[in-house]
Amino acid sequence: MHRITWRLLLGLSLILLLVVSVQVGDAASPPKGQMTWAIHFTIAPTFLDPGETAGITSFLFLYALHDGLVKSMPGNPRAPSLAESWSESKDGLTYEFKLRQGVTFHNGDPLTAEDVKFSLHRFHGTGASIFKSKLKDVEIVNPHQVRIHLKEPWPDFMTYLGTPATSIGWIVPKKYLEQVGDDGFKKHPIGAGPYKFVSQKQGIELVLEAYEGYWRKTPHVKTLIMRSIPDDSTRLAMLKTGEADIAYAMMGSTAEEVKNDPNLELAYSYGRGIFFFFFNEQADPKSPWHDLRVRQAFNYAIDRQALSEQQTLGASPPTGNIVPQSFEFALPIEAYPYDPEKAKQLLKEAGYPKGFNAGDITSGPPYHALAEGVANYLQAVGIRSRVLPMERAALISALKEKRLKGLTSAGSGTLGNAATRLEPYVISSGDFPRITYPDIDELFKKQSVERDYKKREALLHQIQQLVHDRAMYAPLYELVWPNGVGPRVAVSGFGLIPSYYYTGPYEDIRLKE
Amino acid sequence: MQRYIVTRIFYALISLVLLSMTIFCLVRVTGDPAILMAEPGASEEDLQAIRREFGLDKPWPIQYVSFVQSMIRGDFGTSIYYRVPAFELYLQRLPASLELAIWAMVISLIVGIPIGIIAAVRVNTWFDKVGNVFANLGLALPSFWVGLMLILLFSVYLRLLPSAGSGTVKHILMPAFALGWVFAASHMRLARSAMLEVLGSEYVKLARIKGLSETLVIAKHAFKNAIIPVLTFAGINLALIVNGAVVVESVFAWPGIGRLLYEGVSFRDFPVVQVTVIMGGLMIVAVNLVVDILYAYIDPRIHYG
Repeated sequence: MHRITWRLLLGLSLILLLVVSVQVGDAASPPKGQMTWAIHFTIAPTFLDPGETAGITSFLFLYALHDGLVKSMPGNPRAPSLAESWSESKDGLTYEFKLRQGVTFHNGDPLTAEDVKFSLHRFHGTGASIFKSKLKDVEIVNPHQVRIHLKEPWPDFMTYLGTPATSIGWIVPKKYLEQVGDDGFKKHPIGAGPYKFVSQKQGIELVLEAYEGYWRKTPHVKTLIMRSIPDDSTRLAMLKTGEADIAYAMMGSTAEEVKNDPNLELAYSYGRGIFFFFFNEQADPKSPWHDLRVRQAFNYAIDRQALSEQQTLGASPPTGNIVPQSFEFALPIEAYPYDPEKAKQLLKEAGYPKGFNAGDITSGPPYHALAEGVANYLQAVGIRSRVLPMERAALISALKEKRLKGLTSAGSGTLGNAATRLEPYVISSGDFPRITYPDIDELFKKQSVERDYKKREALLHQIQQLVHDRAMYAPLYELVWPNGVGPRVAVSGFGLIPSYYYTGPYEDIRLKE
Repeated sequence: MQRYIVTRIFYALISLVLLSMTIFCLVRVTGDPAILMAEPGASEEDLQAIRREFGLDKPWPIQYVSFVQSMIRGDFGTSIYYRVPAFELYLQRLPASLELAIWAMVISLIVGIPIGIIAAVRVNTWFDKVGNVFANLGLALPSFWVGLMLILLFSVYLRLLPSAGSGTVKHILMPAFALGWVFAASHMRLARSAMLEVLGSEYVKLARIKGLSETLVIAKHAFKNAIIPVLTFAGINLALIVNGAVVVESVFAWPGIGRLLYEGVSFRDFPVVQVTVIMGGLMIVAVNLVVDILYAYIDPRIHYG
């Protein structure tokens, strides 16, 4: 009996030792290896500064270098990060954040409420105007507690602060920034994220190294290299040769190549960008697009599923709404069915039995092939057009300035909720609406101060229905991009963060042993 | 002679002024850059503040005068995309472009001149015909396609060379060949025609009559004379290669000024476009000026007046 107990104890001890050693080994194993990303755009130094974030692109770098009070993480679109917890006052005018203790920046400085206050006041990226118009004061309660006071209730406050809609809540080190200035910070950024800056060749390459003091966990991969490779064939070649482990934006034929290569894996970006067409002249009574039937004819003339197959291997689901279905307050609207006969009938009723010349379809890269596809469908029902490729920046600028005629193939990838997505496109104060309606403006105004969730949802649903009924835009599909993942990668990070385009969180990314 | 040099310098300056005016206007007719620089939903006051910061609120003639004054001081403005001085960016990227251009030029001369000379010596033989095919392909095939085919062969299939980037000799071989082939083709054709002309000249005939060996005639008498126009042409081409590698630099992700120009155009970063175009123009005008002056010294037939 004594011998059996002794053996049992010995056995259990060995098992326990094994389990503990595995766990300790896993938790404490130092980061190792190197991973390379082939990125489809130019890496600008402004992307490395959360104070200047102009769009979703910056988050590709922010998730590595910096950290936010609250941010989208796996399983939680608004996960506590630098803020352990937060609360909203009953009147909706004050938000209190309790900061995580013991967090340090990459230079060893502790992260405190001073840094939070400084970052909130310093922010001048996308959303700064609306944020500053609502912000009354930032109060430091103690080094680990901050209160944000608003001038009026703002139901979207946490969407702006805690999702990739903006980087308002991403924190920079006050002391360091005051030492080096804005330009110095962009040249050598220091943050509180899982990776620290090593070097950069402006516009070409960024090298990062694991920050072992990161509060959430020690990253698995030691070195990350982000390379800007504008040509998609070159990105594909780098993936095939092992020069890159992740290649973004493998569209059309390059996606087919990745799919057909047994060593590579196709991974999708579920960022919920919507691709849609603008009817630039719909407000002009002389234009054919002024007639609702003509705009509806456009919608029936397009085979969205076929375009999705051609461009994204069928990954992008067709939609009838410019708001992604996964967004808060989104109204699910089915895409128009492909019905060219109905399109012709509507054109006939509108007085265009032989179709008409629609002029240019302006389009931005890398989506010219999509615009060509749409032009072919339009031609089939008698609407003649030609694709006019423009550079992305010039296209956005011309759209904002309302200088474009005919049709424009574009879209939106800004994250947030239905309200943040609708605002630039359907409200008279927005950047891009081709036509505005007083009833939509009024509904939008009402929802922006409505704190009752259900009532606000009803108002936003009503707006989306009106946008659809009036065919103000022609939504095609919710863009889901194919990307390539190389054979060394165990966890790429695609699809881990809800509604996020890029790989992340970086500390969860792993190479195979 | 002095008057000739002054006239050439005057023409060179006129060219630069016209170039600066053209590029200054072109980058502005595409729209208001302040809108791109502002956040979405920025108010008119915000836009006006940006215009003031970058001097975009002033009339074009005033902007141009200020642009020229700054340019003379080496200040081409701040890059809208990178937020650093555009000239600093240009200088950062220039060494990579020079390196690529020198390699491309060396490849084009090593390949183009021998083929051209041998094709002339063995005119209308199979070698001449193959040489012509090589030259025509070099001139006809777009460099981005050549680049992609090289990547496919040497990187993807043979795994011999890296497909993109910079830093080692291995990185430079493919972009240098993709860029150099078109120049190799033109150097080959020029070397062939120059050699044919020299081989048909009286002094070569005399050398042959004197009983010199064919090798000696070609190497000592014909080659030296035939090579002069090729090298002159190559000198002018070097400036073109440095500034004209936009496509090749983009395909191979080469960090040079061609790619910088591509980025500048893509993001309508007009200080970057201005600095790359004007510095490129300056380089080409300067090389042409030097060549013109040297020619005037070497060849007395050139009229000074």
